[in-house]
Amino acid sequence: MATSTDARTGLARYGHEFKTFLSETWLGYALILPAVLLMGVIIIYPTFRGIQLAFFEASLLNPGQMTFVGLENFAEMLSDATFKSALWHTVLLTAVAVTLQYLLGLALALVLKEKVPGASVFRSLSMITWVLPVIVMVIIFRFMLQSGFGPVNIVMAKLGLETAAWFGRPGVAFPLVVLMHVWRNVPFYAIALMAAMKSIPETQYEAARLDGAGPLERFRYITLPQISYVSMIMIVLHVIFTFNNFDIVFLSTGGGPLGNTEVMATYIYKTAFQQYALGYGASMGVVMLLIMMAFTVVYVKLEARD
Amino acid sequence: MATETQSTATDRTFAQRLDAWLDEDMSIRRAMAVYAIIGVFMLFLLLPVAYMILATFTSAEFLYSPRLIPALSDLTLANYQAILSTGLFQQYFVNSMVIATATTLLTLTVGTLAGYSLSRFEYPGRQGILFTFLGTQMLPLVLILIPFFLLMFSLNLVDSYVGIIIAHSVGGIPLGTWLLKGYFDDIPESLDEAAKMDGCNHLDILARIIVPLSLPGIAVAGFYTFILSWNDFLLVSILSQTAATRTLPFGLQLFQSQNTVAWELLLTAATVTMVPVVLLFALVQRWVVEGLASGGMKGA
Repeated sequence: MATSTDARTGLARYGHEFKTFLSETWLGYALILPAVLLMGVIIIYPTFRGIQLAFFEASLLNPGQMTFVGLENFAEMLSDATFKSALWHTVLLTAVAVTLQYLLGLALALVLKEKVPGASVFRSLSMITWVLPVIVMVIIFRFMLQSGFGPVNIVMAKLGLETAAWFGRPGVAFPLVVLMHVWRNVPFYAIALMAAMKSIPETQYEAARLDGAGPLERFRYITLPQISYVSMIMIVLHVIFTFNNFDIVFLSTGGGPLGNTEVMATYIYKTAFQQYALGYGASMGVVMLLIMMAFTVVYVKLEARD
Repeated sequence: MATETQSTATDRTFAQRLDAWLDEDMSIRRAMAVYAIIGVFMLFLLLPVAYMILATFTSAEFLYSPRLIPALSDLTLANYQAILSTGLFQQYFVNSMVIATATTLLTLTVGTLAGYSLSRFEYPGRQGILFTFLGTQMLPLVLILIPFFLLMFSLNLVDSYVGIIIAHSVGGIPLGTWLLKGYFDDIPESLDEAAKMDGCNHLDILARIIVPLSLPGIAVAGFYTFILSWNDFLLVSILSQTAATRTLPFGLQLFQSQNTVAWELLLTAATVTMVPVVLLFALVQRWVVEGLASGGMKGA
């Protein structure tokens, strides 16, 4: 008798818990539904359509008319010199820009974490380059480097050096694009790395100091390992960001002069929206996606092993 | 004696000497070195911006002369008068403001609900959703752009505020949701339990406990979304086809690609374009810096 009542309350309790579980689950799904719907319709669905498009030939002028061509678009890339140089520029830009950003960001982080008066003001001020719209940054750089009375040319002329339309120079335009990437993002690295450094307990440094470790050793064995997670996040984020970036190149050089700064994003944009070759553009987009996925997986695996 | 000290000094390797110097406590010399390095960085980062702002207050005669420093007589407010009274510029400014504000509100609403769901509810697929959201950040926008444009076209959302607002919001939702989830996770669940005892349901808890306690996080997420929308060029260049929906970055691009550039006006328009985001940053900068330290970078 007593056991059966126990069983019933037990069952009732489970029933109640099951009901709250259901209602909670239902509410959990309901709360996330708007985000999932928006992401699904506006991002996920177009992504799959984009991947599908890579195997078709289609024109922007008549996008309903699609012809299946299998891997033809991918084969076309192998003989497309512009594609190859755009891919090379993208990889080079990403490697050089992210390396410089990280090193300069690390240096800035090290001085900004020093307890000197005014450091917090500099912390905030430095972030301004990162907040600016890309178009404003581009206008600033183009103004500084313009062919006529640009400040850079005025200084060069005063020093008796050569003046030029710098953005139109084949050997100079690409470094300028790198410079803009670096200029824009160094502060973001610096603030993130500085925050990570500040969260390292001071006692660890004290202990190392007592053991006779100098500042360089302390940096190598205490600071570096403990900012490695934030470093990884910053590097992965910026590799993806730089690799996919469109507007810095498009707005400043448009890919020129003579294709010297053409990157994947601008080449795809032109292929799809100016030459109307949707399928070919999409197939190059798929290549970009694959490279980024491979990079992220390998990098995160390597980092996890350390 | 003197030569002996010198020789021992050179015997020390460069690394040892650097070490000894770095090991000094905060001395005047060290502080000066720190300031010098900060100074170099600030020159590199801020001088171009400062020079642009200075140039907006000067006349065209100065900008088209081989001089670097304006004289007092070169200073003028004429550029601002010209830019601010231009009808198209006003239109672009209003468009930008409406779109960025609406994007921020939409993203924060959707992101708060989603972040709350991810932070406080257990259900199958929760992790998957979060990773999918973050994974979308890896997608090359140019790949999505083509089908995205066709989709917006078929939904009749090309060249409308609504289309641009939705597009920008979708860009902001993954990061916004992730940031907000991080902030919500920091609020102890015992507070939820206590509120439940007092008869609050989940939505009460969200509105009365979670949101008020994570205002800094909401401010940071809102700021990120606002600048994402305000600064966007690519999506607007695809979706906007007339001046009625054109935003400032697109307008500036059209302005700067004209054959003859009126630098004094272009720089002034660029400066006015950056003012709202810089002001907004000044308001939330403390939380942005803190957020990078805690909520934002802790990982999912």
